[in-house]
Amino acid sequence: MPIARRIFLVLAFVSAAAGRCAGTDPVAPAAMQTVPAGAYVPQQRSTKDPEQVPVAAFRLDTAPVTNADFLAFVTANPKWRRSAVSRLFADTSYLDHWAGDLEPGARAPLAAPVVRVSWFAARAYARWVGKRLPTTAEWELAAAAGYKTATGKDEPDFNRDLYAWLARPVPEVQPTVATAKPTLHGVRGLHGLVWEWVDDFNTAMVTGESRADGGLERDLFCGAGAAGARETSDYAAFMRTALRSSLKANNTTTSLGFRCAQSIP
Amino acid sequence: MKTKLALLSLVLTAGLTAADQPAACCAADAKPKAACCTSDEKADKAACCAEKSDAPAACCAEKAKPAACCAQVEKPKPAACCAVEVPVAKKPDACCAEIENRESKIQNFSSESLYQLEVGFTDDRDRPFTLASLRGRPVVLTMFFASCGYACPLLLTDMQAIRAKLPAEIRDQAAFVLVSFDVARDTPAALAKYREERQLDAQWTLLHGDDDAVRELAALLGVKFKLEADGQFAHSNLISILNPGGEVVHQRTGLQGGLDEAAQAIVAVSR
Repeated sequence: MPIARRIFLVLAFVSAAAGRCAGTDPVAPAAMQTVPAGAYVPQQRSTKDPEQVPVAAFRLDTAPVTNADFLAFVTANPKWRRSAVSRLFADTSYLDHWAGDLEPGARAPLAAPVVRVSWFAARAYARWVGKRLPTTAEWELAAAAGYKTATGKDEPDFNRDLYAWLARPVPEVQPTVATAKPTLHGVRGLHGLVWEWVDDFNTAMVTGESRADGGLERDLFCGAGAAGARETSDYAAFMRTALRSSLKANNTTTSLGFRCAQSIP
Repeated sequence: MKTKLALLSLVLTAGLTAADQPAACCAADAKPKAACCTSDEKADKAACCAEKSDAPAACCAEKAKPAACCAQVEKPKPAACCAVEVPVAKKPDACCAEIENRESKIQNFSSESLYQLEVGFTDDRDRPFTLASLRGRPVVLTMFFASCGYACPLLLTDMQAIRAKLPAEIRDQAAFVLVSFDVARDTPAALAKYREERQLDAQWTLLHGDDDAVRELAALLGVKFKLEADGQFAHSNLISILNPGGEVVHQRTGLQGGLDEAAQAIVAVSR
């Protein structure tokens, strides 16, 4: 088992608990920032793919969607409440840490990122607020920025914080979104809080050993024989790819939330 | 006499519900619906639930247990009670519950049913198509793209092989569905051309969807796909078998073997 995957498993299955919550304020429009156009360098790509994928400028929520935000969503959309949601769209641990259908409770502080939400739920939320989920390319472009520059991997303190977070088990209760340090574009929590859904998570075609080129993989995926990893040193990106490729759209985990994006017309 | 008939109908209805697996066509809900799709009427069963307009007549055809079908009608005559010319208001619930259900949006699908997906597709004749309209039939569904040079032709061949393995009565009832994830190139016209080239008859449904529809269906099926720089798609090779309620009951992954198992899965959900 590749090490990235092993660590992901540890992160994904450590569960959450305890905290305190207040009222149920309606969701205020989330603050967004513009992420300038740039190039996404796919961590894994086909031999025929270009090294860089151009990404147009877009708007991104400055913080992940919180329990308070999500409470407003399920209040307005009963079919997304924990007791009503279809298993097709969210597995049995959907919002499992909430005290009730409309009560996040002690283990889900209102100002903390919502977790245990499925891709379908995240998508439905985004539609509800008139936005969408970011694509992998957009998310990775935004997440590549460091505290001071557009390439965080060249900033020692950014790397230190990133890997310290990756090494930490998932906390019992998620900290509030305000605890995350904003990066260059004024966006916070892309690293350091929770993993996040992307709209096209199901384009990550890794089966077990991501660098394997076995016959089974070629059969499972048309075109997969040509896929290969570009830079094996970007360990965090490997972990994200491993996570995305291991998810199903109705999965929920204790460390997986989301934020919304918007195209710039 | 009337009371006795009514009683008899009730007994019949109850019996049918248990014995004939109404789920096959009329989902897991209301009892009278069982009557509209009895197991000895396989052809009608499909017709019953396939097309709204034909359903009343088809679902209450002569052999379809008229007593149950027409349980609540004043004159329980098989042909008469559900005939097309009977005013809509007078059609017995037993016959029409299914149809009403389809028109109102209360579908009562199981929590695993793909038919809960609210996105719409377009068929290769440019007509709107919802997956839920496949309800009542076993379905063999594959996502593909028409210009695929490697795996997709094999997937189509495999679907045809699965079809050939089915007993005739089940083969005629099953739906074979190809959904393209190439939203840009596989327009309804392009799919119509594909149908012609591959000589696919009316049993085959070719669907075009927008990006949302395709991505959500793919997510539900566990199909991964990615547009490569050369215009080809990298994608999962997956043939899914749905039961008449729209639940995935079997998936054949990869490109080798597994055809017998897929055929068996279809037979199992058709009985």
